[in-house]
Amino acid sequence: MNDQTLIGLVIAIIEFGTLLYLAALGELVAEKAGVLNLGVEGMMAFGGMAAFWAGVETGNPWIALVVAAFAGTLLSGAHAVVSVVLGADQVVSGLALTILGLAMAAFLGKDLVSKPVGTQFRELDLGPLSDIPWLGETVFSMSALSWLALLLGAVTWFVFNRTSTGLALRAVGESAATADAAGLPVIRTRVIAVMIGGALAGMSGAYLTLLLAPGWSEGATAGRGWIAVALVIFGAWRPGRVLVGSLLFGGLIALEPRLQTFGVEISPILLSMLPYVLTISVLILLSIRSRNRPSAVPAAIGQTWRREER
Amino acid sequence: MRGLRLVRRETPLAGGQLRAVLVGVMIALLIGVVLLVATGNNPFSTYLRMLDSAFGSPRAWSNTLTRAVPLGLAGLAVAVAGSMGLWNIGAEGQIIAGAIGAAWVARLLPDLSGPLLIPLMLLGAVLGGAVLALGPALARARLGVSEIITTLMLNEVAIRIVRYLVNGPWKDPEGNNFPIAPEIPDQAKLPGLFERANIGVLIAALVVGLFGWLVSRSAWGYELRIAGSSERTAEYVGISLRTKILTVLVMSGMFAGLAGGIELTGSASRLVEGVAGGWGFAGIIVAALALMRPSGVAAVAIAFGAVQIGGLAIQTQGVPAAISDILQALILFGALAAAVFGSYRLQRGEPTSATTPAIAEPGAAT
Repeated sequence: MNDQTLIGLVIAIIEFGTLLYLAALGELVAEKAGVLNLGVEGMMAFGGMAAFWAGVETGNPWIALVVAAFAGTLLSGAHAVVSVVLGADQVVSGLALTILGLAMAAFLGKDLVSKPVGTQFRELDLGPLSDIPWLGETVFSMSALSWLALLLGAVTWFVFNRTSTGLALRAVGESAATADAAGLPVIRTRVIAVMIGGALAGMSGAYLTLLLAPGWSEGATAGRGWIAVALVIFGAWRPGRVLVGSLLFGGLIALEPRLQTFGVEISPILLSMLPYVLTISVLILLSIRSRNRPSAVPAAIGQTWRREER
Repeated sequence: MRGLRLVRRETPLAGGQLRAVLVGVMIALLIGVVLLVATGNNPFSTYLRMLDSAFGSPRAWSNTLTRAVPLGLAGLAVAVAGSMGLWNIGAEGQIIAGAIGAAWVARLLPDLSGPLLIPLMLLGAVLGGAVLALGPALARARLGVSEIITTLMLNEVAIRIVRYLVNGPWKDPEGNNFPIAPEIPDQAKLPGLFERANIGVLIAALVVGLFGWLVSRSAWGYELRIAGSSERTAEYVGISLRTKILTVLVMSGMFAGLAGGIELTGSASRLVEGVAGGWGFAGIIVAALALMRPSGVAAVAIAFGAVQIGGLAIQTQGVPAAISDILQALILFGALAAAVFGSYRLQRGEPTSATTPAIAEPGAAT
């Protein structure tokens, strides 16, 4: 194993980690407000398709990013209206959103499949920092989107833990009725949280189609949206731990095509099961541990809330 | 939206779920028109073509019913769990596990005669589905771990197991390097029924009918629904919640597994990665539209089978088959919304009372 393969691995870990972190962060915000959104895979695909289309049309990656965020937000609006405003079941609505998003991306993206890439995110050159051996080629050469993901993670942590807005959002996710009694706008908070989740899933899709694997094809998301859902649980609903989890799961994905290079005789397909198996294990461990400790799970998650007259 | 809020109707609108589904279908068709026009297709000829290819001839019916089989069995799987307030999101993976189980039996006993081999393969399928559901069932029954996420995650695991098999140990040496398993022996294929349909249609109809009756009419089904509506009542009348959760979730996996077995012996003839075809996920929508009532599952499954067969047919006209998935999802969204307006109405003005407890849905918490 030489330095170059190792650097290649670290770059791939950062890239897959960014992809997962953006989407997982969005799901985290929605779940903290008490809304489970199983539509991440669909929003990611729809956002990715939209970003690629916008890239072909405008040639500007930043416009494409905004378009992707908008597309994700728009799609998540369906989940917000049906499951939050109208109070239908979150599980069914979220799964339908995944089916809808994947299908819309396939339908509207049909003519994009053979198109050449319109634009791409590039590595960010940080001048002298990028000349540092090792770090310069990896961390200090990563794209602006990876820095943006880190920034968004920090902002999320800060808002959750240091601001009244974050407190309000968490209260809504812990007990909608109590939050409502305290005068907090439950429905509005949840709708906004779901839409932030949609925007971030869309951006994650843009990262996929404009940087990680430039181009658009049906099935491009390849189940990564489900990993994002898993990561929120794996990271115990904390932005920092979800970041660690993103790098870990991203690392597993990055290892898949490289196993042979490293002389490991395991099928990469079997390795790709690990994120899901690990998440199930964490869920089981969490439930054993939470018997005598406060649970990390937002208490009102999955529960519909409607204010009604008695 | 300020000032607008939902208020419960004194009496729910008449028509119930059927009306909600019809509204959903109308909303879906209307949005479909917009999408088709926007992509330069004639919506009316597209819809007519879909309808014709799904119901226009005996052959069309045979295709629709064949497609309704995995949808109906997956729908039943979700509905049986759902009638107890449990979510089996893992039907997709359990279909795969069922197909693997059936293929395994065919690999072990390739020389057995058909009348013996086929039932054994279907048994293998049922067991395959049960095995994949057992973990989440135990975790939920023993530790209270949400079955939503565990079943969901196992879908992705099952996809990778079948990918591993058809790329590795079970790969067809004569398959031109395609990721496919060898074809099952001829006597392992389900006998035909009419046109392209095979007796899998009858098996599925029988299973859906029988368990539909069990859930809605038998004492066992009654206990299920009690356990689903109130844990405390269930415990009070001496229903063992743990046993119920365990049996219901494993049973749910069995139905989905059977779908995989019928798909393998009836249609696919060999194990491939896409053997579950998204029907496990579609089955969740089927069950939701049937309000988790196994009795309604068959009707919705046939309707969705028609939508999917129609979607395949219009591909030849250059319309992506994804339109059928779009229609299915939109039907669900439309029906969910319509169902809410069946028992609630919009009212302008400020609320008269501040608080009521959150509506906690059993089994919905993570």
